Amino acid sequence: MLEFVIVSTLNGVTYGLLLFMVSAGLTLIFGMMGVLNFAHASFYMLGAYIAYSITRTIDFWIGLLVAPILVGLLGVLVERYLLRRVHRYGHAHELLLTFGLAFIFEELIKLFYGDFPVNYAMPAYLRFPAFSLFGADYPFYRIFIGLVAIGMFVLLYLLLSRTRAGLVVRAAERLPSMAEALGHNVPLVFMGVFGVGAALAGLGGAVAGAFFPTNPNMALELGVIVFVVVVVGGLGSIEGSLVASLMIGVFSSFAVGLNWSLARLFDLVGLGDWARDLGGLMTLTLSSISGTVPFLLMLIVLLVRPAGLFGERN
Amino acid sequence: MALLWRLLPLALLMAVLIGLPPLLGAGLQNAMTNMLIAALFAVAFNLLMGQGGMLSFGHAAFYGVGAFAVMHLMTAIDRGGLSFPTPLLPLAGAAAGLIVGLITGWFATLRSGVYFALVTLALAEMLHSLAPHWEGLFGGEAGISSMRMPWGGFLFGRVIEIYYLTLIWVTLCIGLLYAFTRTPFGRLTLALRDNEERVRFLGYDAHATKMIVFAVSATFAGVAGGLLAVSNEQTNYELFSTHVSAQVVLHTFVGGSTVFFGPAIGAAIFTLFAYLVSDVSRSWLLYQGVIFVLVMLYAPLGIGGVVMLHLRHWARIPWRRMAAPYAGATAATLLVGAGAVMVVEFLEVLFSPHYFALRRRADMGWPEFHRFGTSWEPFGLATWVPPVLLLILGLLVLLRLRRRIVALWEEVHEQAAAEGRGEA
Amino acid sequence: MSADAVLELRGIAKSFGPARILEGIDLSVRRGERHAVIGPNGAGKSTLFNLISGLFPPTAGSILLNGREIAGRPPHRINRMGLARSFQITNIYHRLSVFENLRIGVMARHGLRFSMFRPVSGLRAVNAESEALLQRIRLERRRDQPAGDLTYSEQRALEIGMTLATGPEVILLDEPTAGMSQDETHYVIELIREVTEGKTLLVVEHDMSVVFSLCDRISVLVYGELLATGTPDEIRANRAVQEAYLGEEVA
Repeated sequence: MLEFVIVSTLNGVTYGLLLFMVSAGLTLIFGMMGVLNFAHASFYMLGAYIAYSITRTIDFWIGLLVAPILVGLLGVLVERYLLRRVHRYGHAHELLLTFGLAFIFEELIKLFYGDFPVNYAMPAYLRFPAFSLFGADYPFYRIFIGLVAIGMFVLLYLLLSRTRAGLVVRAAERLPSMAEALGHNVPLVFMGVFGVGAALAGLGGAVAGAFFPTNPNMALELGVIVFVVVVVGGLGSIEGSLVASLMIGVFSSFAVGLNWSLARLFDLVGLGDWARDLGGLMTLTLSSISGTVPFLLMLIVLLVRPAGLFGERN
Repeated sequence: MALLWRLLPLALLMAVLIGLPPLLGAGLQNAMTNMLIAALFAVAFNLLMGQGGMLSFGHAAFYGVGAFAVMHLMTAIDRGGLSFPTPLLPLAGAAAGLIVGLITGWFATLRSGVYFALVTLALAEMLHSLAPHWEGLFGGEAGISSMRMPWGGFLFGRVIEIYYLTLIWVTLCIGLLYAFTRTPFGRLTLALRDNEERVRFLGYDAHATKMIVFAVSATFAGVAGGLLAVSNEQTNYELFSTHVSAQVVLHTFVGGSTVFFGPAIGAAIFTLFAYLVSDVSRSWLLYQGVIFVLVMLYAPLGIGGVVMLHLRHWARIPWRRMAAPYAGATAATLLVGAGAVMVVEFLEVLFSPHYFALRRRADMGWPEFHRFGTSWEPFGLATWVPPVLLLILGLLVLLRLRRRIVALWEEVHEQAAAEGRGEA
Repeated sequence: MSADAVLELRGIAKSFGPARILEGIDLSVRRGERHAVIGPNGAGKSTLFNLISGLFPPTAGSILLNGREIAGRPPHRINRMGLARSFQITNIYHRLSVFENLRIGVMARHGLRFSMFRPVSGLRAVNAESEALLQRIRLERRRDQPAGDLTYSEQRALEIGMTLATGPEVILLDEPTAGMSQDETHYVIELIREVTEGKTLLVVEHDMSVVFSLCDRISVLVYGELLATGTPDEIRANRAVQEAYLGEEVA
């Protein structure tokens, strides 16, 4: 039991930190530009695939460095030449455009890499156990993912709060027209933020893809969870997405290993067999619905407090 | 007389839909059935979007619910001995869509804009993740299957019979949806789309109104799902996936969300082309995505919207001067399309596992590959120069003609504005 | 409550967080009168209208319409009780025709809120009433054009028409002549005078000539407080009002 708790917590925290890497950019972009970027998880996927290609041809660490940069550049291009064109048609249109882009990115990956997983793995010397827990080895790489995420968060926080550029970004988030009136190049800021957000997601993909499966479906799988995270955390709040990522990461890790069901609850009062006979909802285990609960949480947050945990009430 | 002109295209369409399929093979007939279903789904979706101004990213929920409801009814008839007219099966889809639509609609319409879209996404994803684990209701991962039972002298075994059944249902439903737009409530939903706040200040309960629109849209989406169940005789949880929700969004906006028949046009074009092209190319979805993005960038009104724009300004368009640029733009588009398709198809082959195996056999060299009935050298000029040339040429022509066409259209709008002011 | 007060505000206050917009408003609008609310920008006039029409609830106080409490009620309920308002920034349905814009309001008056089983073209009474309203606001020749294509003053006229469509007893007009030339202002004021015959009108206005010629009584709102209420002459003579607001404009 204790083993389960510790391992699940560790897994949950590292997975949560990975979610944070991807969702931080998304929430920043939404908070600033009002665009919910459906293609954000695609940047994650592209980061993984580009890192894979670079790892195969050159080096793993170069891949980790270069992939996010390339993805960031792509993000900048997307914002400058595509998103900005449809800005005048409204937010719904921007949303749809990013939606279409996500589609295209997925199909392009399938075109170049095939509609199956690729073998993107970390170099052998990183494949050691961090420590031994109850006889089983806990992989170092998982911790590595968490460390990269933490490092990234610290860097981001420092950038936003201590540098001039960060100040301008925060000003442009609150009142873009005012910031522009004060002479700051707000379109450039938007481009930069979009690029950085994309690069962060790309970094997440580059790091995580070496551990988790790298396949054309990874954008979709992670994408919907990332939406849950940014909604629950509060659209626009980075602290919120950190907290929400950890919450959902830990919950998912725990739930996957638990076979609790309503029927077992009824066992406590001796009605277990009756409940099991009913079937349906009664026999659904927590592990099977572990994928559903985050969406339920997202729904509840949207209906009760759309600003999320840390978001601003509009 | 004007009415006759308006009804003529519709009559022609119906004539084709009724008369053509018996002449086609079973594969095409099935494709046309799917096309009709997709068209109904898209029109139902657009009731919410184009009419009500609410963008839903989870409409697959009602589509799937309708399909499963009909599936259960079919199972009850097939194995349970229940007596129910087969042609009326989609009614179960409507009922399921209505009930689920009312319940979810109450929640969803509490929010608007991107939050509304996220609520619909969450609802659909909840179903999508829950369904494979819920054996009783959704048949787990394998889904549920059944058989159509004969009724009223018809066997309902042949594809053509299912096609006509679907045609009747879809025509009826789209007709009802069109009539709906002409009712007071239908006009109200249009107003809601334009300006929800004002609707409230005119004495309407906006939330209740939105909920009803939502429910009506869900009902007809449920019918579409039900028709799919009847046609396929099997359903599974994949009907709740984001892919299905994505498809209807793509169809609607390529066809044009501001025009009633727009989504049907988009759905028809995409499903038909998917059927025709998917045998010849594996990159069909990529083309679909690219077309969608291009429409979003350059023709935000969609095909239907562009058609309506031309109809509206028919008399004002200087056709003699417009004809040449339009013809040129069409030709240029075909050039660009041909070039792009060539590039994509070449890349697709070069990166395929099949070609990789060929390379292995050639000691990791770069042997010739086959496409479009001929063989090509992977690094040969003859391979890449033609498509690149087509692309460049086509794009240059398009860019030049675009300016001309835009200028001509500015004239048209000027004239329209002048007429409005009473000067022309 | 005074016998002929159709709209009464008692102790109305409104704050948004720490910002106090309105404080201690006591206002009584008599049945059938034309009542103006004037004051410098930022005095809280639009907030007052928003409170009365139900956009948000007051922080304190009550609003009585024909003796019934409407404070905090949703806008559609208040409208059905007989009060309608226009907006300072034109709030029309841009993509619908002028005729349709009016008809939406008329439909509401006839209780046709969820009617989806008959064509709207068959509703003779509704259509006739919409036509009549169209003629009253003198936009017949723009009948089938999208409302978004109209000129600014035409849109303002439509705005007023939509406000009237629901057949209200009490009409709130928020700066109906904002941004208009002399001629347009004169036109719109005559229109307002005509269409508010026999109804109660509460109007926010900046144009003093309009206010003094059109209205029976005036209330002066300054920094969220009601400085004075009275006939145009009384207000003109009021020293406090002169100091705070009117300045030399009135002379």
